[in-house]
Amino acid sequence: MIFAPQVTLTALGQQILVGLSKTTILFIVSSGLSLVLGVLRIPNVAHGALYMIGAFLAFTFTQYMGGSGPAFFAALLLAPAAVALLSLLVERTMLSRLYEREHMMLMLFTFSLALVFGDLVKMVWGSDYRSLSLPEGFQGSFMIGTLPMPRYSMFLLVVGPLVAAGLWYLTNRTKIGKIARAAAVHREMVGAVGINVSWVFAAVFMIGCYLAGLGGALVAPTQNISQGMDHTIIIEAFLIVIAGGLGNIWGALLGALIFGVADSVGVLVWPQFAIVFPYVAVIVILTLRPSGLLKSTW
Amino acid sequence: MRRTKLIGLALTLCVGLAVAGSAMAKNIKVGIVDTYSGPPSAYTNDVRDSFALQVEKINAAGGILGNQVEVITRDDKYKADIALGEAKELLIKEEVDILMGSINSAIALAISDLCKKEKVPYIVSFSKSDNITGAKGHRYVFAVTENTAMIGKAGAEALAKKPYKNYWIAGDDYEYGHAVGGDVWAYLQKLRPDVKLLGETWWKVGTPDFTSYITAIQAAKPDAVIVATGGAGCIPFLKAAKATGFAAQVPIFMHTATELSTLKAIGPDAPEGVMGTANYMFYYPDTQANKDFVKEFKAKYNREPAVGAYYGYLAANFIKSAYAKAGKVDKEAFIDALEGMKVTGPLGEVEMRAFDHQAMLSMFMGVTKKVPDYPFLIATEIVTVPGADAIPPIDVIKKAREKAQQ
Repeated sequence: MIFAPQVTLTALGQQILVGLSKTTILFIVSSGLSLVLGVLRIPNVAHGALYMIGAFLAFTFTQYMGGSGPAFFAALLLAPAAVALLSLLVERTMLSRLYEREHMMLMLFTFSLALVFGDLVKMVWGSDYRSLSLPEGFQGSFMIGTLPMPRYSMFLLVVGPLVAAGLWYLTNRTKIGKIARAAAVHREMVGAVGINVSWVFAAVFMIGCYLAGLGGALVAPTQNISQGMDHTIIIEAFLIVIAGGLGNIWGALLGALIFGVADSVGVLVWPQFAIVFPYVAVIVILTLRPSGLLKSTW
Repeated sequence: MRRTKLIGLALTLCVGLAVAGSAMAKNIKVGIVDTYSGPPSAYTNDVRDSFALQVEKINAAGGILGNQVEVITRDDKYKADIALGEAKELLIKEEVDILMGSINSAIALAISDLCKKEKVPYIVSFSKSDNITGAKGHRYVFAVTENTAMIGKAGAEALAKKPYKNYWIAGDDYEYGHAVGGDVWAYLQKLRPDVKLLGETWWKVGTPDFTSYITAIQAAKPDAVIVATGGAGCIPFLKAAKATGFAAQVPIFMHTATELSTLKAIGPDAPEGVMGTANYMFYYPDTQANKDFVKEFKAKYNREPAVGAYYGYLAANFIKSAYAKAGKVDKEAFIDALEGMKVTGPLGEVEMRAFDHQAMLSMFMGVTKKVPDYPFLIATEIVTVPGADAIPPIDVIKKAREKAQQ
């Protein structure tokens, strides 16, 4: 059990920074999940599969457009949009008919969607190894003091707060955001005021799934793009959403922060048991505050 | 009346066909259980394709002892429970004469155990844990691939010549990872008693994101890192090592880092200057036998053969020679004939050591380098360690097996 030598302050700081870049992805995905959960009251188990589709689409779009740096950025814009369109299709044709049903129905439906999407990805893209390269400018690290910091992690550190700011603006300053928040609290009232609740739901679902696709596209250059991505992320996303407070986007941010940083610091401080750290953190949170860290909308 | 006649006719036909069917010569069935999905498939596809090519040649020349060879493949998805299920199905339903596979050492050990109970020969075609023919070896398991003890010896010899003192070991947390990391370290310590292990990092097999592990290792500032990744981890880790700049800062040793399957999958994005061991390269040695082998494989599959193709070739030819020597399609006679069997391949003669059923393969150590001739990196500064030197002596295996029995 190696403990002391490499846990210097700089190393700790660096690990926290890397952890924060992980937080970005986790936050983007969990906020989408939280949004859908809060407003539509749907535990969208297919969220992970949509994340995976986002990653695969990012790969395909980058390949299609030449495989180089600018192609990746274009893919970053296109892939989540494609995922959002897919989700809109699913929502309008199938999901919207189930809103009046009980919870279990909706959850089972999204679960079956997850399975179908999972296999669909395998059928369309095959099960070979897929690799997406980072654009030239993002490869390598630059030095912070004496320790190297991967460039792409720094990029994610910038994207994260941007997405958070965008979400804040959307939910607090735009009309659709305010309606969505109202619908989360009391959907019958929103309908009574004359707003088409159905289209609000469609829009919110689309945004939530767009976030899943965005998370997948952002993570694509750093990981294996393969089957199984959906399973890992959906568990983490649900844990973060529950720990942060159901339906609360800022809770998702807090949860993602704790999860991502715990993971990275764990790797530095106690490598053999690193994978346990974030889950222990969630257990501690839920033991002390079972309803989650921040107020939930349920 | 008419209906009964029809039924009677149909029944007679069926019986007739069954009798005719059983009267035909029985095929020699080889069942391969291996991982054909995800990153490991970059390695295993070559085994399957090369084996199929050799079997095609054998069948065209009349088969083995007059019987055609039939190959059945199954995908275990890198999971032991699926692998065991498929292996059992092949044994019970398909009644295969020989089982072959897998790239996952944990799976190989599990199937090896099954074959020991069922008394069916098992040819390990990729997994490398030294336990397979070492401590957990037995009569029914053979390996046509090198094992971690051989890798450890060869790798340690290369590292001992370097000025590195402080090491870090990082790898996939499973049978093969610990075996290869442990073996390289054990042999290195013998050659260079002054080396120090600063620490170890073991991540879950299939971990997608190595960034936090890489930065943690960099914080410890080791002189070099022994990377103990297997089929699932080699390619993604090397990619991450290049992407984060890790490979440029810290010298890395990884088995199969210089091998075609790994380097081709990553392409021009692979890191340069990584030390590695491998047992087959299509460009070295540049002998006529190797050139012919490459030409034949390339003609059929339109790509250069990687190390898996070499294992596939060896497996097929060991099977052919062993049956020819045994003279009959009998599992026990096959095993007796296979012990000590010598086969000539693209890199010369390879012997299947009788004591532990381990093929005595040579190891090649090299360093990755970008060249203009290929869209992938190749190995340079190649040093050869002959099979007889790389393989652990028989008394080491004996001791390991006795220790395991206690």
